[in-house]
Amino acid sequence: MSAQDIIREQVSTHPVVLYMKGTPQFPQCGFSANAAAILKACGVGEFFSVNVLESNEIREGVKAYANWPTIPQLYVKGQFVGGSDIMRELYQSGELQKLLKTALAN
Amino acid sequence: MVTPQQIEAWIHAGLSCDFLRVEGDGHHFEAVIVSPAFRDKLLVARHQLVYQALGDRMKAEIHALSMQTLTPEEWQARNG
Repeated sequence: MSAQDIIREQVSTHPVVLYMKGTPQFPQCGFSANAAAILKACGVGEFFSVNVLESNEIREGVKAYANWPTIPQLYVKGQFVGGSDIMRELYQSGELQKLLKTALAN
Repeated sequence: MVTPQQIEAWIHAGLSCDFLRVEGDGHHFEAVIVSPAFRDKLLVARHQLVYQALGDRMKAEIHALSMQTLTPEEWQARNG
């Protein structure tokens, strides 16, 4: 399977997927740490996370997948939502909580 | 090392901005970008316009760029 196929499968089989540097427990970049913290603050304790530092193919592949040059990247129900700035803005406006609640409800 | 002024010049070259300010230490940068091109666009699309202006420099020279993307109307409301 190509990196693109792997990513497509990951984001379509899990409602919430975070591509990040490190893990939610041990993030290895401030932006990734923020992204994981925002998901927790939204009440999403468990989500599928991918440590891009473990695979250069996925790290580069996910940038191409969303046409987005940076990590972290959040996907909800297969849709690219944004990076850490966007997650913060959507969290502050309450939109992220709504999006996640809907995604996890069904 | 990349300077905030260089990033401002790159963004200006690819995107028409009413206001642009970039600050940073050479590795991490923060930008406030106000452009009419952001009208009717979701945040992802706005950031993509900025990334597009920066092109391959996002991959090589710029490690991290945090940005606020506003339309002229949003900018005015914020500063009003």
